[in-house]
Amino acid sequence: MVLVFWLPSAIQAQTRIGVIMTGNVEYYRTMHEAFVAELDKRMPDADQIEIILQRPFPDSIAWSNAARKLIAVDVDLIVAYGAPVTHAVLDEKSKIPVVYAGVYDPENAALSGRNVTGSGFKVPLSSLLRYFKRLKKIDSLCVVFSSLEEDTVRQSNQLVALAGQQGINVTEVDIRRRSDVAQLEDIKDDAVFITGSVFAHLWINDIVSILQKKGDLSGDIFPDSSAAGVLLTLYSPPKAQGRKAAAMAARILHGEQPKDIEAEIFRETELVFNLVEAKRMGIKVPVQLIVEATRVIK
Amino acid sequence: MRRQLFSAYRFAVSFIACLLFCLCVLVPGSGRAERPAGELLLGIEPEHNIFDQVQRYRFLAAYLSDQLGVKVRLTIMSRYGEVIKRFRSRKLDGAFLSAYTAALGIREIGLQPLASPVNLNGESTSQGYIFVRKDSGIKNGSTMRQRSIAFVDPATMEGYLYPLAYLHRQGVTDLDSFFSRQYFTGSHASTVFAVLDGRADVGSAKDTVYNKMVENDPSIGQELLVLGQSAKVPETTLCVRSELPVGLREKLGAVLLRMEKTSRGKRVLRQFEALRFIKTTKSDFYRIEEMVQESMVNKTVHLNEK
Repeated sequence: MVLVFWLPSAIQAQTRIGVIMTGNVEYYRTMHEAFVAELDKRMPDADQIEIILQRPFPDSIAWSNAARKLIAVDVDLIVAYGAPVTHAVLDEKSKIPVVYAGVYDPENAALSGRNVTGSGFKVPLSSLLRYFKRLKKIDSLCVVFSSLEEDTVRQSNQLVALAGQQGINVTEVDIRRRSDVAQLEDIKDDAVFITGSVFAHLWINDIVSILQKKGDLSGDIFPDSSAAGVLLTLYSPPKAQGRKAAAMAARILHGEQPKDIEAEIFRETELVFNLVEAKRMGIKVPVQLIVEATRVIK
Repeated sequence: MRRQLFSAYRFAVSFIACLLFCLCVLVPGSGRAERPAGELLLGIEPEHNIFDQVQRYRFLAAYLSDQLGVKVRLTIMSRYGEVIKRFRSRKLDGAFLSAYTAALGIREIGLQPLASPVNLNGESTSQGYIFVRKDSGIKNGSTMRQRSIAFVDPATMEGYLYPLAYLHRQGVTDLDSFFSRQYFTGSHASTVFAVLDGRADVGSAKDTVYNKMVENDPSIGQELLVLGQSAKVPETTLCVRSELPVGLREKLGAVLLRMEKTSRGKRVLRQFEALRFIKTTKSDFYRIEEMVQESMVNKTVHLNEK
């Protein structure tokens, strides 16, 4: 577990914000940087705010321990990135206000409570499936998720239902530890969808490396920040969610109750197409698919 | 700003693709002011799949050349509204125009509408759809506040004029303050994809394109909700410049209307993906004029923007 003190003048801090970000995933790091920058703008006494950042390894016990430590320190506010961490914090039933961010489809994540508000995102998973089909005939799809992360289970279930409607066979690969990645070597599917799993993104380079060797199409709902070589990414920009979390945090620190702050869902997405990867795989890319992309990696 | 750059990138890609066709494939030298005698140059407004479109029109151009005794050449405009400019500079004899461009051309430069194709579904008209994702929570104009909207092109009825009229009826007059973001995608299909992906909350596009996409992929229809539909207007109309010799104009119209009555004409119609051509008149575009009034769009502004 890593404990980091952020912002100057922490010794004289009057307000303490506890932040939990599981794993070392770029998506949440970017979100948190935007949170800190925005909070700095919104709070005139930002130098009096201490941010305690905890980055537990993705594990349900570690998530709970991180939440308990922040509650024990009696922080004024807890910010949680991602659904599993948010659930772990809410399970502690503390009276400390909670702001969540980066939660997939929060309306269906059961994150209710008087002390909680936040923002999440929704990415139309059907769109990625649609783009796969524009690249090649898809008879079978592999979904990479983690049964330890409730939101990725929901994503997987959605894809299974979608694929079923279209006569596409689905294989699910559950990543709970690094060795689980090797399951992908034996999977024979036309395309692989990577859910917003922290586990999967901890070892995204290993995953993509296997897919590249097999020539499978790959799609992800997190940006390919490490340039692992994911072919298609359709994601909700993380900075906007970080800024929204800061805006909500500022309102709570100014005295508003979380129950009075409406939760928000970000639906805007960015579509990134990796042309380099497509060429390496020998895929003939329709011009129109490139035109649809908000960014093309050349 | 970033979005604008993305949009600009899309336009650039489309523009380059069209330009390559215009310069290399279709009519080398079509940009000259002077053309050889006995040649008829017809413009085409670009569709989503420009390659299929060119192929379809080539069959028709070859047929018209034989029937009219003049060489019929085709040229694709780089953008919807460029057709008007080309007519003004006398570099076009006629063009297959979408409804809004045709209405502008009829009103501003006196174009003469001749005929419209009837598609394989028996439809010669199209209408605009305004649509959202079903899970967006948007039910009407007021729930679009501070959301984003994607239009097709300023010179399209279905992809711009109609949504403006719809929003005006819903009490929205200042788009800049009402929407968080608004942009043009450049094609009807791109607008549908933008809403499907969440890159825009609201979109407007032509029903024929929308319906074809749903037919090819029923999941699209399951995810989108059509909130409004415009009146139907001719989808594509061959309009010619008023200075075109009356004899040639009448012959051109007659050849098109007679196509379904000859075996070769029927074959070309199949290749063109139409059942027949029907006569079109200026009155077919009155609904466009009404929409212009309703949306308070200044048409001159749009012409000048091109």
